[in-house]
Amino acid sequence: MSLTDDRAALDQWYTLGALQDFPDGAEVHSRLLGEDLTVRRLADGVEVRAAGRALPVRTEYGHLWTSFGTPERNLFELPESREPDRRWIHCGPVRVRASGLRLVENFLDLAHFPYVHTDILGSEAHPEVAKYEVEQRRDVDELWATKCEFYQPKAAAASDEGQISKYMYRVVSPFNVMLYKTPPTAPDRWDVIALFVQPVDEAVSVANAFMLVIDDTSTDAELSAFQQMIFVQDKIVLENQRPSLLPLQPGRETPTRADLSSVLYRRWLKEKQLRFGTEPRTDLPNA
Amino acid sequence: MADWIPIALSRDVPVGITRAVIVDTREVMIWRGEDGVAQVWEDRCPHRGMRLSLGFVRGNALNCLYHGWQYGAGANCLRIPAHPDLTVPPTIRANAFAAAETGGMVWMSDDSAAPPPQLPALTPVISLAIEVAPERVLAELGGSTAEPLIELPFAADTLQIGWHRVHAAKTMLHATGAGADIGAATAHLRALRQNLEQGVAA
Amino acid sequence: MPKLYDYVLSGSCYKVRLLLNMLGIAYETQAVDFFPGREHKRPEFLALNPLGQLPVFEDAGLVLRDAQAILCHLASSYDASGQWLPRDVRFGSVMMWLSFAGGELMAISGARMIAMLNYPGDLATLQAKARTALRLLDDHLADRAQAGGLWIVGATPTIADIASFPYVALSHDAGIGHEDYPAINLWQRQVRKLPGFVGMPGVPGYF
Repeated sequence: MSLTDDRAALDQWYTLGALQDFPDGAEVHSRLLGEDLTVRRLADGVEVRAAGRALPVRTEYGHLWTSFGTPERNLFELPESREPDRRWIHCGPVRVRASGLRLVENFLDLAHFPYVHTDILGSEAHPEVAKYEVEQRRDVDELWATKCEFYQPKAAAASDEGQISKYMYRVVSPFNVMLYKTPPTAPDRWDVIALFVQPVDEAVSVANAFMLVIDDTSTDAELSAFQQMIFVQDKIVLENQRPSLLPLQPGRETPTRADLSSVLYRRWLKEKQLRFGTEPRTDLPNA
Repeated sequence: MADWIPIALSRDVPVGITRAVIVDTREVMIWRGEDGVAQVWEDRCPHRGMRLSLGFVRGNALNCLYHGWQYGAGANCLRIPAHPDLTVPPTIRANAFAAAETGGMVWMSDDSAAPPPQLPALTPVISLAIEVAPERVLAELGGSTAEPLIELPFAADTLQIGWHRVHAAKTMLHATGAGADIGAATAHLRALRQNLEQGVAA
Repeated sequence: MPKLYDYVLSGSCYKVRLLLNMLGIAYETQAVDFFPGREHKRPEFLALNPLGQLPVFEDAGLVLRDAQAILCHLASSYDASGQWLPRDVRFGSVMMWLSFAGGELMAISGARMIAMLNYPGDLATLQAKARTALRLLDDHLADRAQAGGLWIVGATPTIADIASFPYVALSHDAGIGHEDYPAINLWQRQVRKLPGFVGMPGVPGYF
């Protein structure tokens, strides 16, 4: 497989991982959208090269970002990254044999909490997904789901007891998503948990979970272990969804009201005419 | 391919279990609820495509691991936990194949028009995956790819061996016997497996 | 209180958590940032285990490494019934399968680290070794099932089952499904039904 010709996918910013994973002087091999890359950390910055050419580079939010094309917008805003009392937790890159779009869609999903994150983010006795709101914010080209509430037995590393957690979800680009969630210790603020997906090939992804949290009790190891536990619980689902690529063709899957965010996400991907990581459609002319 | 395909030994699919099987590159799954009836379905939940073989059986229902969607023996979705008060529309269904049990094996068919074969009760011996093309396995055992069963004389018994194609280079055998020395028959079939696989490697 | 130096994604730590739960032993854990922090290679951890491997178990002044050794310690110290590590003709067989669980089956762990965490190594070679080990276990369990047995050794579950279960159940992380292993599929269900069974990420608690 070689670099995709999907213009919508090429013209996006992608993370290649946490900056701390690119040591000074070392050459690191990576891969994005079906193309091999080399990354070199230099004294005055980071160089990313593919097929003999240098790619644009951004170093924001503790991560390295690049693009094969010309993104319409700059990298998304993450104002919480400027708040001094937040802890930055890098949970480490995990490879998943699934489309990155499946990873993002799963990240947006509340209804799986009781079954996949049993007795942590959900419990079988409280499976109901209450109505929430979704919107496409056209000025920033982001998707938001708000007023999400779910009963959680152990919402975070620092939780001692169950609570109704409030969530907001924010999709900033097809492969980058974050959620805002009330921390157990600071109910007037929002923890940020981001999932930056590096789409390696159509059905192979690297998930970079990253947190900006308010928590002065847990150790870094505990915070990271909690999020890794959650993500790897999802991994068994992601690698066993069929097809591995996200189907955009109507009727291939069966959404319900709980899947409003997923429905909006798929519609948005179609609007962008994004193809990388989607199942080829048979219902379109010239497909 | 034969209308009815043997895909497992009944013994290996007791009540309460799920079993993933690959039949000619298709992912299917078998499960058995408390009513004792073996079900053979496409290994895919219609909601978000999750493999149902990772799900769990309770009573006479199969539950998808991802969101707990519950399916009854008729493959219709009974319950969507995210919407506890919803009466699930009858159009939401898993994709069920025709299934039958005979001769100690679970059989499936894409098209249930033809009746399943009628076999006497046979004693399960062993299911074996062999990393060799079905054509070669059947040639070695004196069977035909047009027939779902191989008759293999062994000692005083005749083994009835069901087979299915996993993919072009892998075969699964489901051996039964009328009263064979099961241990000896198992050893014999494992030796066959080894010879066939070594032949492929050579 | 006994203390487990634990990493939530480690199948070897899971072996110990499983038996601790099944025996109902109260314990505390200390999270070790194995990935991405490589805390197990830092001096403080190497002082506990110079091999730089998880798990490590502290119990009344004793510091033990190696999941199989820890299982033996737990069975020997906390299992009054003697079921988990029988001191009779079954002892040698339990030890044999413990060695297999800490030896050949660990090819699954190696393949999993490459497939999941991008560790360096030869994935195809480890997957082939893992398949060989899984087939050997499946053949053994099929023989046991033909004789009416549910467990790896004898008529009850032993630490041989506990030591073997985690990486067998996690093989999908290494890209290996259980379609070829009907006897393993049956045995796994028996392990999941044991009182005190707990899952881990990648091993759902439902069955």
